[in-house]
Amino acid sequence: MKWIPTCKETTVLASRAMDVRLPFADRMAMHLHLAICENCARFARQMHEMRRLFRANADAGDGATGLTDEARQRIATELQDQLDR
Amino acid sequence: MSKLDAQTWLADHGDYLFRVARRQLHSDELAEDAVQETLLAAIAAQARYAGDASPRTWLTGILKHKIVDLIRKQLREVALPCDEEGEEAVDLLFKQDGHWAEPLRPWGNPQAEAELSQLRRVLDECADRLKPAMAQVFSLREVAGMETEEICKELDITPTNCWVLLHRARLFMRQCLELNGFSKAGAA
Repeated sequence: MKWIPTCKETTVLASRAMDVRLPFADRMAMHLHLAICENCARFARQMHEMRRLFRANADAGDGATGLTDEARQRIATELQDQLDR
Repeated sequence: MSKLDAQTWLADHGDYLFRVARRQLHSDELAEDAVQETLLAAIAAQARYAGDASPRTWLTGILKHKIVDLIRKQLREVALPCDEEGEEAVDLLFKQDGHWAEPLRPWGNPQAEAELSQLRRVLDECADRLKPAMAQVFSLREVAGMETEEICKELDITPTNCWVLLHRARLFMRQCLELNGFSKAGAA
């Protein structure tokens, strides 16, 4: 990797930085790029925003529909089998 | 717990458990399996349910383990699209010299309930559009919040594959969100 990474390389670093603490050199390289690149700075912000939204969404009870009657019946039967054993 | 309880839990919490599972498994069929496995495990573990958590919280805890089990089982059956698949799609996002092909648009900051429910719909749709292996690794990390090291170990894939999958999933997800109405003038 060159002194200042490209956008493509920076997205890899920014993504990895979401998961682990980057080695010092990588961290510096990433921040150098982020300081001068509006797109990548936006990318990094949006990655964090995306995580926040998905975690909030996971706890929201709406959105997707529920079990179909068919699935519910099948599961009820399985449960009964287990209970009767 | 009486016999009634397992059936009552299905009636009271079945839909909720299904939705939580559906969000992470991206398949109706697998989500149904997860609900069934969870309730069966709940019957087996009923003696250990102290009743200090609400049934829903307790069941959701069991469900999370079942989701990971199902993802692990599924990933063993499909070849991971690590090396080539997705690489071309990534290349489309960048120019030859490594700069972004298109400027990134800022995202809006929805507050109204109608906007929020629209946003949740887009999140679900975009997650469903990822390749299954990518969607699942993404879910384990970004939705369930598991550490990447743990995910690689659980799924028995190399850390490099894990990183690549996750990074591509994030790139594609961001792109999908932007194309489906996340971008608004004047926001971050």
